[in-house]
Amino acid sequence: MGFDANEPEQRRRLRAAIKAVDISVSELWLKYFGLSGDAGEYEVEAYLQGLLSLPPVQRDLLALAANELIDDLPRPRAPYSDDFEDADQGDAESAGREDGGGRQPEPGE
Amino acid sequence: MAQLPLDELSTVIARIQGLLLTEEKVTTAVRLLAQAAKESVPGTIGAGVSLLDARGRRTSSGYTDMIVRQADAVQYERGEGPCLTAWAAEEPVLVPDLASESRWPEWRKGVAGLPILSVVSAPLMAGGQSIGALKLYAAAPNVYDEGSAALLQLFAAPAATLLSHIQASEAPLRMSEGLQASLYTRDMVNRACGVLMERRALSHEDALQLLIKQAREEHAALHQVCERVLAGTPASGI
Repeated sequence: MGFDANEPEQRRRLRAAIKAVDISVSELWLKYFGLSGDAGEYEVEAYLQGLLSLPPVQRDLLALAANELIDDLPRPRAPYSDDFEDADQGDAESAGREDGGGRQPEPGE
Repeated sequence: MAQLPLDELSTVIARIQGLLLTEEKVTTAVRLLAQAAKESVPGTIGAGVSLLDARGRRTSSGYTDMIVRQADAVQYERGEGPCLTAWAAEEPVLVPDLASESRWPEWRKGVAGLPILSVVSAPLMAGGQSIGALKLYAAAPNVYDEGSAALLQLFAAPAATLLSHIQASEAPLRMSEGLQASLYTRDMVNRACGVLMERRALSHEDALQLLIKQAREEHAALHQVCERVLAGTPASGI
């Protein structure tokens, strides 16, 4: 099967993105599977190696899976001066949650 | 994370069934270890073992007495304390008298009401990695000295090797939880596709593409977009 013109570049940058934040192929696959991805773990591995072509919608699901995993990574946040007053009142728990970074949970999540 | 062929349902079921046994093994081993550690130093009122993942989150713990559970809970809530220091610094931590201690102000505040004055904690080192900490608590000051720290460390070495093997086989447990969550969201995405296919006379692929587009535009997770479609309250565009 031939590759779309943009497929090699899309694949290369997906691989670079997950490597940069140390996401394993099995973690990526599990997330992609949860987003209704149809390719198996070995096929995803083969796609990342450039050995297999995937249809555009499957490639986009892989990209979405990678981006959702990246968005969920805890990132350190620099505290503001009034964050400390918070902690003194014994509200350390909510301050800790802010430090979690990433996307704010939405109602119903 | 373990590299296993996840796309075989039979493998998945085997892993889900296997995990219960594994979890029980970890809990028992950790509790026995805490008991033996407690009896190794006279004056000790409680001992505990915590296994931590690479980011310092607690994955399993075992303790001999309620007081250990309380003192430990404060450590992981506040993100500081002797065991976290022993784990992070990869060397034993000795607290001869908590009353004259200046480290971990938040933790000390949190345990002020507990009858704990001496603490010693040793990291659990396996294969060059710190996988947790072993700790002893005593009610009187100056119960522990460098000798107790050295003893605890001798104790920690074989225990860490044993626990790291159990922890390695515990990986499928956490994976299976992830797998259950994935099966749930996968089902939700497919149902949302079905709703759009019927509502807008789309093919499955076009429906999925529409959902992906919506998630990207809103910078929302795909499962959140799907939840809204299923709840019948889709935003503009769907």
